[in-house]
Amino acid sequence: MDKLDHYLDQICRSIGGPKSLRQHVRQELREHLLDAAAEHRAAGMSEEGALDRAMADFGGPEEVRLGLEETHGHRLLPVVIDKAMQWKERTMRAKWLWVTWANLAMAVVIVLNVIWLTFANIYLVPKFQKLTRVGMIDAAILEDAGVTWMASFLEALSNAVGRYTTWLLLAAMVVCGLFEWRVRSENKSFIRLSVWGTAAVVLMVFGILTAGSLVIPYQLAAPPIGRLARPFALQQLASIDTSLAAMDQALAKKNWGAVQEQANQASQAVDKLVAAAPAIYSLTPRQGPPNLQELRAELQTANGYLAEAQQAAQEKDERRVESAVRRFRELYGPVTKTATKP
Amino acid sequence: MDTELLKGTLSLLILSLLSRKPMYGYEIAATVHRDTDGAFTWREGSLYPSLHKLEADGLIVGEWEEKETGRKRRYYHVTKKGRAALKEKVQSWMELCRGVNRILEKSDGQA
Repeated sequence: MDKLDHYLDQICRSIGGPKSLRQHVRQELREHLLDAAAEHRAAGMSEEGALDRAMADFGGPEEVRLGLEETHGHRLLPVVIDKAMQWKERTMRAKWLWVTWANLAMAVVIVLNVIWLTFANIYLVPKFQKLTRVGMIDAAILEDAGVTWMASFLEALSNAVGRYTTWLLLAAMVVCGLFEWRVRSENKSFIRLSVWGTAAVVLMVFGILTAGSLVIPYQLAAPPIGRLARPFALQQLASIDTSLAAMDQALAKKNWGAVQEQANQASQAVDKLVAAAPAIYSLTPRQGPPNLQELRAELQTANGYLAEAQQAAQEKDERRVESAVRRFRELYGPVTKTATKP
Repeated sequence: MDTELLKGTLSLLILSLLSRKPMYGYEIAATVHRDTDGAFTWREGSLYPSLHKLEADGLIVGEWEEKETGRKRRYYHVTKKGRAALKEKVQSWMELCRGVNRILEKSDGQA
């Protein structure tokens, strides 16, 4: 009768309406199938064979269910549960695929973490330590509450990676080998996955701590570094002004070599400004144009006229030099004017 | 017999059979099988959606009856509305048969 109940369950469980209706429908279908089976038994069939035949004559459960649902509607929850069960069966069949995928994903995470930690310890940590030594990152910042552990952490990690990497890798390989060799549990794939996961989490924690220890002190040190930008910018402007004055004098004396030399020095000073965004930014007004990008573009254009002045000086073409310098001043003048604003 | 053709006439057959006497589902199926000498090859389960639809439309009424054996059966009988519907369906069926037969007679021997 289990078979009959299962068959009736498949037909009736998702029929809409009140529970009493489902019970009535179920009983009615059950009586029909018992009548049909009894007739087949009377014709000489075995009990099981008679029931199978009765169900086969009655039709597939899906077909009957759909017919009844057309009349009575259907319940949403059993449909969702059925779909979930079907999905579960399908996914269980592809268990190996999911486990392999999960192992691969974990392996990728571990490899990426190892690459990051190696790169940070070989390239970034020494640079960070050098910046601290030369005072670009103020050592006093690293003594602030909440930051003190960062420098210690980076140093400890750097030492550990330098000294124990080989041993750690060997130990990991031995543990993996022993696990594959000795463990015979039916949950072996899940144990392996959980070990991979734990390793990935540990490495990720180290990776995040390393990144934080590198970035946070630098962020704290950035404002004092930024304050150096304006003196640097003013220094470059002064250098340009000096070169322009010297260029005027050299031009009056038709000293073409000196003109080229001063144009070159002014051009180098402009290049330094253009390359240092914080310095240009320190020259922009707090409100209104020009902004950083506009000022940088103006300086780059102006620098083109200095190059033209150098070329003209080489060709000893006084008018072209004067014209190029005038155009340079037209663009450069507003920069100086902006810079002198409070 | 074509099951699609049977589906279209199932409600007519049910109403017609129930107009003889109240019957339960298995009895209807067995009667159809017996009276047609097994000409209708159909899934018996398809009978119940039609029965329930007719009941929902008020053309038949089902009532449970308990037998001496302890088995319960749901007997259906035709309502007044069902008898009127049967009359209409029989008339439509006759017209359909006449029309189809005329076509078939005229096409006789050309198939």
